[in-house]
Amino acid sequence: MNGIVKRFPGVVANDGVNFEARAGEVHALLGENGAGKSTLSNVLTGLYRPDEGTVSLNDEVVHFDSPRIALERGIGMVHQHFRLVNSFTVAENIILGEQSSSLFMDTASAVERISALATQYGIAVDPSARIWQLSVGEQQRVEILKALYHGAKVLILDEPTAVLTPQEADALFTVLRSMVAEGRTVIFISHKLDEVMAVADRVTVLRAGKTVSTIECATTSTRELARLMVGRDVVFDRVIRANHAKPDNIVLQVSNIDATDDRGRQALKSISLTIGESEIVAIAGVAGNGQRELAEVISGMRPATRGTIAVNNEVVPNSRVRKAMTAGISHVPEDRLHTGLVADHSIEDNLILKSYRGAPISKMSVLRRRIIRAQAKETIEKYDVKTPDTITPIRLLSGGNVQKVLLAREFDSLPSVMVVSSPTRGLDVGAIENVRKRLVDAADSGVGVLLISEDLEEIFALADRILVMYEGSIVGNIPAAEANRESIGLLMGGGSLSAENN
Amino acid sequence: MQSPLRLERRLTQPKWLNWGVPLLSLLGALILGGIVLFATGKNPISVYARIVERGFASTDAFSRTLISATPFAFTGLAASVAFRMGLINIGGEGQLYLGTIGAAFAGIAFQDQPTAVIIATMIIFGMLFGGAWAAIVGILKAKFSTNEIITSLMLNYVAAIFLDYLIFNSSSYWRDPKSYGFPTGKRLTKNAYWNDISIGSIEIPFGFVVAVVAAVIVWFLYNRTRFGYEVGVIASSPNAARYAGIRARWKIITVMALSGALAGLGGASDVGDFRHVLDAKGVQISGYGYTGIVVAALARLNPLSAIFVAVFLGGLSNAGYALQGPDFPSGLVGTLQGLILFTAVAGEILTRYRIKRQNTIADGVIV
Amino acid sequence: MASGVFYGTPLFFAALGELFTERSGVLNLGVEGMMLMGGVSAVWASQHIPGTSWFVVLCSILIGAFAGALVAALHAFLCVTLRTNQTVAGLSITIFAGALGLSSYFANVWDVASETVKHPIRILNPGGLADTPIVGPILFHQTILTYLSWVLCVLSVVYLFRTRTGLKLRSVGESPQTADAVGINVAKYRYIHTILGGALAGVGGTYYSLTIVPQWVDGVTKGAGWIAIALVIFGFWRPDLTLLGAYLFGALQSLGLTLKSRNIQINGSILDAMPFIMTVLVLVIVSGGWAHKRLRAPASLGVPYEREER
Repeated sequence: MNGIVKRFPGVVANDGVNFEARAGEVHALLGENGAGKSTLSNVLTGLYRPDEGTVSLNDEVVHFDSPRIALERGIGMVHQHFRLVNSFTVAENIILGEQSSSLFMDTASAVERISALATQYGIAVDPSARIWQLSVGEQQRVEILKALYHGAKVLILDEPTAVLTPQEADALFTVLRSMVAEGRTVIFISHKLDEVMAVADRVTVLRAGKTVSTIECATTSTRELARLMVGRDVVFDRVIRANHAKPDNIVLQVSNIDATDDRGRQALKSISLTIGESEIVAIAGVAGNGQRELAEVISGMRPATRGTIAVNNEVVPNSRVRKAMTAGISHVPEDRLHTGLVADHSIEDNLILKSYRGAPISKMSVLRRRIIRAQAKETIEKYDVKTPDTITPIRLLSGGNVQKVLLAREFDSLPSVMVVSSPTRGLDVGAIENVRKRLVDAADSGVGVLLISEDLEEIFALADRILVMYEGSIVGNIPAAEANRESIGLLMGGGSLSAENN
Repeated sequence: MQSPLRLERRLTQPKWLNWGVPLLSLLGALILGGIVLFATGKNPISVYARIVERGFASTDAFSRTLISATPFAFTGLAASVAFRMGLINIGGEGQLYLGTIGAAFAGIAFQDQPTAVIIATMIIFGMLFGGAWAAIVGILKAKFSTNEIITSLMLNYVAAIFLDYLIFNSSSYWRDPKSYGFPTGKRLTKNAYWNDISIGSIEIPFGFVVAVVAAVIVWFLYNRTRFGYEVGVIASSPNAARYAGIRARWKIITVMALSGALAGLGGASDVGDFRHVLDAKGVQISGYGYTGIVVAALARLNPLSAIFVAVFLGGLSNAGYALQGPDFPSGLVGTLQGLILFTAVAGEILTRYRIKRQNTIADGVIV
Repeated sequence: MASGVFYGTPLFFAALGELFTERSGVLNLGVEGMMLMGGVSAVWASQHIPGTSWFVVLCSILIGAFAGALVAALHAFLCVTLRTNQTVAGLSITIFAGALGLSSYFANVWDVASETVKHPIRILNPGGLADTPIVGPILFHQTILTYLSWVLCVLSVVYLFRTRTGLKLRSVGESPQTADAVGINVAKYRYIHTILGGALAGVGGTYYSLTIVPQWVDGVTKGAGWIAIALVIFGFWRPDLTLLGAYLFGALQSLGLTLKSRNIQINGSILDAMPFIMTVLVLVIVSGGWAHKRLRAPASLGVPYEREER
């Protein structure tokens, strides 16, 4: 792939990316979220058309008008979200895309071929099992088999180990090795440094849409990869705080929390942390390592299967959103428009999402529109929200203003603890500044802030203390003054600070 | 199969659409209906003119239109109440039947009481029976996630059979033991009649007034109270509802019960205002419940608009009834109603999407 | 038993049609309307097409199917292209074409209600075996449509579960995203199977107007279309179970009639209600817990499909 440029409204996802993979190798594509890995692979599989640049297969320039064509040319992909029909058997799923003129399904011979392939590569799967009966790891194997069955010479895997146990991951690597042994190519997209080192021959690091470098894994280390992934240390201005953190006045205590994700897998493994008054504690980590589940458990949206949460030394009942609210927990979710706010409702209706139950907003169950409107007007002035009025549906506002409204509501609820997820994602520079200022103001006024973010710059600018989450556990707890990008990046990728990994 | 036009989601909804869409839909339906009429050898203009004349043009006609409109108003309200929370309750028909059963019971059992008391009990019983019937659907949905479309539909049939059973297939409390030949229900006594209210020379059925009051109450409930706020959040964004700690399960049952109660109230009105007897066959043929869905769709789920739409459809129905004959076939009313629904539904699409030409050049290659 | 088959046949046709439609992911609540349109068109055909009895019957059935298909095409347009709420679209069609709607209107305009049908679909007696004990009346005393329905049932099972196209159809109903990703034209499958569903419903309608009565009466199907919808669920979206269910429901219907005429009132009413109550029970079972994974509706039923932007 040469000079690939792919633009989306507002962002250049791939900016002149050059990438080349050889037959018989496992080539890893490494980068943080938003670095451009998924976009690149989507171009390769024909899902996206590049705005500039070319793709060549075996030195022959190709144009993929549709994913079908890419498939026919031998490029297969295993996505993070599987494309499988739950109620079908493995065999049925595999032959679904088959180009054949015969009317009847020849399940028998398909099963034979599948079994042959499975044995050849050491993939253990029962062709007559139904998808919903299979574990996630097994489902992934079906996806791989599917690609092999249709003759894929190049196989792309997008964050394949995100859903696997360590044992399953090892099994996967064995399969990949046996595939490249006979000349196929595997492109392995990941953010996990140790895995990249374990399975790949070469690795290309992407950052902010550009290729940083392509190296042989044998000649590098996880430290170096981490450095390449997150960039050289740049000196930041840490924000000036009016009131310093008092970590000993604990406002939030999370003790030994376990929780499962939507798929039933364990998302949180014995998480414990504390936040003190006026302290900003950041959780760094690539998305998908349990951060969302943690935020949901603290706010009461998700039940914890073990452990407790306490605010100001009082335990908050598990999985009760309203109780969490009255205890003083405020949650600013990642998904602003569809979780934290009601997209189609007006600004003023959104502002009362938490306060509508009692005085002064409602009296004897009747909402007092005048008070709602007056308060809304005050709020949008105070927080400088750019909007023609308070009755505009909130989805019409710009991203920055949406976040202003959300934050306004949360701040005005006078919480003791704020859990804030990716608060500046997708915002422009001015809005970002504004949000950060608000968070600092909140902390200065005594609120304990849990900042969950993937933006290291932001974390370094704001945090008093940095935690790193990896695969559902907290793998690092470092005071901001002692932390640097390299070490955080290493922890984010699953590395450890003690040893020099090779 | 690539169509040359493409539907693209709108970002904003121009205000004029709110009244523009129903009006344009109506126009569209009238045009389509006119085509059908024309194709089968009738003069659309004269047919429509006669509909207007018989439906609205005189106080007499208007009074009769109000009579037709009253049940539609109730079932339209019932449907709106449920649809606004995303519950597709098509059981208004059966819930109305249960309402008639309840109200007839009250009317017979309390016939020695003064009129005011009887009317009150008929209303209460009608609402209770209808509400309970709908609550079954709500409970099934809340507890077992069963699809409320099918369950409410099935219960319509069970309700119809129950109604038939009471009058035709048993000697129940409701059946008139003295009816010879064709079984009928017990007639209500004169003091159980709901009296009309006259304004000038227009006779307004008591039930219609009740419907208007109900519409106002529903409007208030949904637009001005905590309950309505929560319903709005649940309907608009289940995620946000979860975020805000709003419990959806109880709401489902409550809203269904409310919806059924309104339909049941329509049943009570049917017995008290108009038939004064539990008329199993008559009420089934009328299909009030299904028309209510048309009303709700046209009124865009606004309870106050529902009253107006109900009057409009009442006029259509009344005219259809009055004009029945070789020149004005009975199927015309249903056809026009259906056309109105189609155009309303298609029009609704226009509020959410814009029609654009397929942009082949900018996309690069046509797939 | 024999009358179960007799009354169940039109239910099966309509249900089979709805089964195909739902298997493609489209919910069609307009079945009743399609049946009635089929019924009235068939009667018109029967009155106006010259020829031998066999020929006229054949034409009537085809025309009935065609009418049902036309109405279904409208439904498909609303649901697949315009992506309207499928429930409202279906209900609109029932109101539009139903007992108080277009079918009644056409009946009037064409003046078909006045006399009994000239060429009804008669009950046959193939090979004179109708008198064999027990199986005779069941197997050999039925109309051509019943025999056709048996053939259709077998063909449907083969189609759905043994052919590639059937597999693709099922994938469209279960997961249109996946189907689209492998290059299957979701819209095409939905259109075709919705129209097919309407055609079959139309045939079911002709059974009522040309056999059971045989005369046109407004609303002659008496809610059969709704029962057919319930039947699809009851049969777990499988043609073979649907056939059995149809006969069960048919038997209940005729049994109900018999009992009522013999003045065993309450049992008659309960029997009438049984199909509906049973459907609700089935639905509860299908929706929750254990059965949820094994016996369920096509996962994408009722959800309009919108492909994401490239």
